[in-house]
Amino acid sequence: MKQSYKMVFVGEPGAGKTTCIAALSDIKPVTTDVGCTDELAMIKETTTVALDYGELDLGDQGRLLLYGLPGQSRFRFMFDVVRAGLLGVVILVDAASSHALDGLAETLETYADELRHLPCVLALNKHPDPPDTFKQQCQDLLRKHKLVTPILAVDARKRADVIRVFELLFVLLEYGSDGAPRQEAPAWL
Amino acid sequence: MAVKAPDRARCIQALDDLVKRCDGVNAAMLALRDGRPYAERSGGRVEPGKFAAMASSLLALGSSVLRELSAGTLDHVLVEGGAGKLVVANVPGSHGLLILAVLASHDARLGLVLGQAKTCALEVAAAFPPNGE
Ligand SMILES: Nc1nc2c(ncn2[C@@H]2O[C@H](COP(=O)(O)OP(=O)(O)OP(=O)(O)O)[C@@H](O)[C@H]2O)c(=O)[nH]1
Ligand SMILES: [Mg+2]
Repeated sequence: MKQSYKMVFVGEPGAGKTTCIAALSDIKPVTTDVGCTDELAMIKETTTVALDYGELDLGDQGRLLLYGLPGQSRFRFMFDVVRAGLLGVVILVDAASSHALDGLAETLETYADELRHLPCVLALNKHPDPPDTFKQQCQDLLRKHKLVTPILAVDARKRADVIRVFELLFVLLEYGSDGAPRQEAPAWL
Repeated sequence: MAVKAPDRARCIQALDDLVKRCDGVNAAMLALRDGRPYAERSGGRVEPGKFAAMASSLLALGSSVLRELSAGTLDHVLVEGGAGKLVVANVPGSHGLLILAVLASHDARLGLVLGQAKTCALEVAAAFPPNGE
């Protein structure tokens, strides 16, 4: 059977997690969006309340299983649902939003405990060329939570960009892992 | 068309009635579909913010699974554990806005909990003003 790698997207509401998985999945994605009932409705119609799921075939390299979590901190428990066997985490940022840093701060506040034990990449979405000062501010926020991750600009709807993120996570796992216990699958699988 | 707000006092009354009427019901929660608490009766047993979020996740996941399996539209989600049962359902007539979550002890009778949850949901539905001008 093909090797599968499980990757999860976190990030503020509107960062583009659902859009990314819908754009890239080779299968019809599973979505759990409902109509927003708060201020978020001014930006977009729906928000994810459980998870997104999609699959991306990498040919000989295997298969990527893409999970997206809700953006709001109140859904923190959903991380427990996806944690087992994770290759790594993509922290998605809407780099074009004026609230991007607040959004990232809240995401890190919510997930830093998890992120410290997993390979992660900070992916700046929706901006063709995020300014260096912005990247520096993201870096500062990461450092504040004792996190060290690569930062790169992506178009999360583009296959090549997301595969680049996957490859980065893979490298981090090989060379940078803190040795957190990985869930071993039984040999017959 | 904007949904008019329900009569909040009536919603709370419906939750109160449910908890009183049905032996073994420990907590009842009305949550907005995107996982925020609207009204709740739990006697401090559960953390409302988390309960509301989890209820909306369960309901959305249940709906997605039924959709994927071509198994129709969701009526309710039932989760049973060694020490409790949880029922989550849409509130009909709330224009898809509200969901009801009911937590009962493990020895509560399932049929009773389901029936009483339905009754409560209908009472909440009746708390919405009728449509039209
Ligand atoms: N300009 C631009 N817009 C994008 C891009 N990616 C996503 N969007 C838009 O940004 C919004 C992202 O919404 P979602 O994909 O629902 O965001 P999410 O991260 O899943 O949000 P929650 O589920 O609420 O946490 C949508 O309106 C997309 O059309 C992008 O690369 N560029
Ligand atoms: Mg989403």
